[in-house]
Amino acid sequence: MTPIAGAVALNLAFGFSILSIICLFIFTLNEDKRLFLTGQRLSLGISFFVFLSTFILWYQLIISNFDIDYVARYTSIETPFIYKISALWAGQSGSLLFWLFILSIFATITVLQNQSKHHGLMPWVIISLSIIQLFFLILTNFVTNPFMPTDADFVVANGNGLNPLLQNVTMAIHPPTLYLGYVGFSVPFAFAISALMNRDTSTLWIQSIRRWTLVAWLFLSSGIILGGWWAYQELGWGGYWAWDPVENASFMPWLTATAFLHSIIIQEKKDMLRIWNMALIILTFTLCIFGTFLTRSGVMSSVHSFTASSLGPIFLIFVFLILIISFSLMYLRKSELRSEKRMESFTSRESGFLFNNLVFVVMCFAVFWGTLFPVISETVRGTKITVGPPFFNQINVPIGLILLALTGVGPLLAWRNTSKQSLIKNFTFPILSGLIAAIIFLFIGFRGSVVISFSLSVFVLATISTEFKRGISARTKKFNESIFKALFAMVSKNRSRYGGYIVHVGIVFMFVGFTGHAFDKEKEFSLTKGQSDHVAGYEFTLLKLSETERPNHYAWISDIRVTDNKGEYVTNLYPEKRIYFHKNPDVNRRQPHSELDIYSTLNKDIYSIFSAVDNENGVVFIKIMVNPLVRWVWIGGYILVIGTMIALWPRKD
Amino acid sequence: MNSNKKFTIMIAGVITVVIFWIGWVSSNPKDEKAMASFISVEKLLNDKMKKRTKLGGLVKDGSIIISETNYLDCSFVLKEGAAELKVKYDRSRPDLFKDGAEVIITGQYLDGTFYADELQTKCASRYEGDLRDESSYKLTEIET
Repeated sequence: MTPIAGAVALNLAFGFSILSIICLFIFTLNEDKRLFLTGQRLSLGISFFVFLSTFILWYQLIISNFDIDYVARYTSIETPFIYKISALWAGQSGSLLFWLFILSIFATITVLQNQSKHHGLMPWVIISLSIIQLFFLILTNFVTNPFMPTDADFVVANGNGLNPLLQNVTMAIHPPTLYLGYVGFSVPFAFAISALMNRDTSTLWIQSIRRWTLVAWLFLSSGIILGGWWAYQELGWGGYWAWDPVENASFMPWLTATAFLHSIIIQEKKDMLRIWNMALIILTFTLCIFGTFLTRSGVMSSVHSFTASSLGPIFLIFVFLILIISFSLMYLRKSELRSEKRMESFTSRESGFLFNNLVFVVMCFAVFWGTLFPVISETVRGTKITVGPPFFNQINVPIGLILLALTGVGPLLAWRNTSKQSLIKNFTFPILSGLIAAIIFLFIGFRGSVVISFSLSVFVLATISTEFKRGISARTKKFNESIFKALFAMVSKNRSRYGGYIVHVGIVFMFVGFTGHAFDKEKEFSLTKGQSDHVAGYEFTLLKLSETERPNHYAWISDIRVTDNKGEYVTNLYPEKRIYFHKNPDVNRRQPHSELDIYSTLNKDIYSIFSAVDNENGVVFIKIMVNPLVRWVWIGGYILVIGTMIALWPRKD
Repeated sequence: MNSNKKFTIMIAGVITVVIFWIGWVSSNPKDEKAMASFISVEKLLNDKMKKRTKLGGLVKDGSIIISETNYLDCSFVLKEGAAELKVKYDRSRPDLFKDGAEVIITGQYLDGTFYADELQTKCASRYEGDLRDESSYKLTEIET
């Protein structure tokens, strides 16, 4: 009974979305207030029914109702509770419903938040959001319905269970975090479309979406970082980023969104770059949908792809519709979008932002190019040429370094124009620090882009500390405050600025971590009890090989002692080889899995993978990687989140 | 020249440089592992392609031979349609590598043997696959 209720709720939401769009559209023509109120309530109704159907599916997952195909496919009776919850986004139809669920949460918040605000903008905002909801409702109602019953002639006693790779807490929270980011950009996009429809593209819409954009950006950033963290902890190839099409799909909107976050500051302060901002948010939202297309279409082979499905073309059509409609709308409003303000000088904050934007967009294009290169080369040259990480690294390392440099330069430039004296005054200390660092790093023996990256990191940190010092000393002089009080007051007075600087510090940490990749070492070898082998100056000795049976898997555990080149004890590593579903009589359905063990310090990670075991001879096959500075990436991630939170924290007044 | 024009030229300049850069890297990648053509086994055997290629196919049943002295050394036969190719691979193998597995390999062809340095198994069907295992049974079977 209840499963049908879920499907019916989805049907009702579909109906409500059409009605809501019609009501609000008529309202924009005849301005009958009652129609607006009805449309608004209908829009809340869409969300209500989406919530209802999502909760019904969640309930079915929890009670393991295998009459529903989705429940049987992604859970089993033994699946732990938390992964029954996360199974909602483990498969295709469920994840589309989940997307819709988040969109509905955002739509509800937007509607409720703006009941007495932005009357001019709201009708088109709600229409735009309802249209996006309608798209996902079409998918979940008619193309891939999560409430489909299991094949009628089968009784399923137990479900498939969730892939063991997905049974990881990070994996349970990584997709929803990314989704919150992807979906979050629907709201700024809806406001942008509404501003275009209303012919008011000045700064009003920008002010109403700044926080939304920052929230979406925070989720997208954390989603990407969590994804990297999960890949590093679980997948066992020793890295956190592989330039996989689906990773790129999340990185591209991140790049344009980051550009947008910077350039709206100029529109807010100077009313410039209207066209540019409009284009950026449209692009960001389109890339979010395009990302879903890449994941779902099967066009690209990737660790993330689900089986090729009929969804590809539908998503592609949606992407093209968004692009065509939005950009034609921009073209129709080109006279309103023109701004009278002009750039005055190259050495101005505006121009700094402009170039940072340009570099972000160019990087996005480079990633886009690489991602679609196989498709492009197949159409043009007839052979499908796949590109790997070295290609992306070669293109993006220089672009990334330019961005890093701009991170340092931008904040030191003044609005409109920076005088020569203040240029010299502001840049002397940071440039000197960067140069001294470069000499030291060269002396240590680093070369090439490693030196550039490390010295630029020092340069950026020096500029940020100059900014903090300047602000603090101004306050201590003026108000006679203590340093900590001044710091606190300064940050809380101007949260978005100093929050932004803290985010920059996080980015510098991440760059340091990325640079460490240049020094990675790896080796594969076999060991019997008591034997040892060497990697990067460390000695690895197999002390013991033990076996154990746990509720849903069987495991072999190696006990490996690690000592450094002076023979001093470092740690013990316990990587495991596991067989999931080991009781399944069908050997093909048992799934082997390597559970890693990582010894992590600020300096380097020692990463161990138990590739295979030879039971008869007691031989274990181990892969060891020594990855310097990886931890800096995660620390940078934390700093980035803290900085964004500071920028987002609401003011008291 | 007014400042707007200067900016336009500057922006156009940056874009041109980057497009050239991307184009240059696309045609002369520094690392030979940056690119590989995805071709069929048949085409590889016909053309005796020496450059880096990516192939897809199935592991022929019973063809996996693991060296007795070094567990990491392994050879197998890749089947794609009627075409068969001997493959050597000496790195750790993915968990799902076995007879009949669908694999994608990357490497170079030399004198009748393909030396792969990347091996990925494809197993998308496992969890999207059907439910007809021992825990499910056909209704008609109990009825009759």
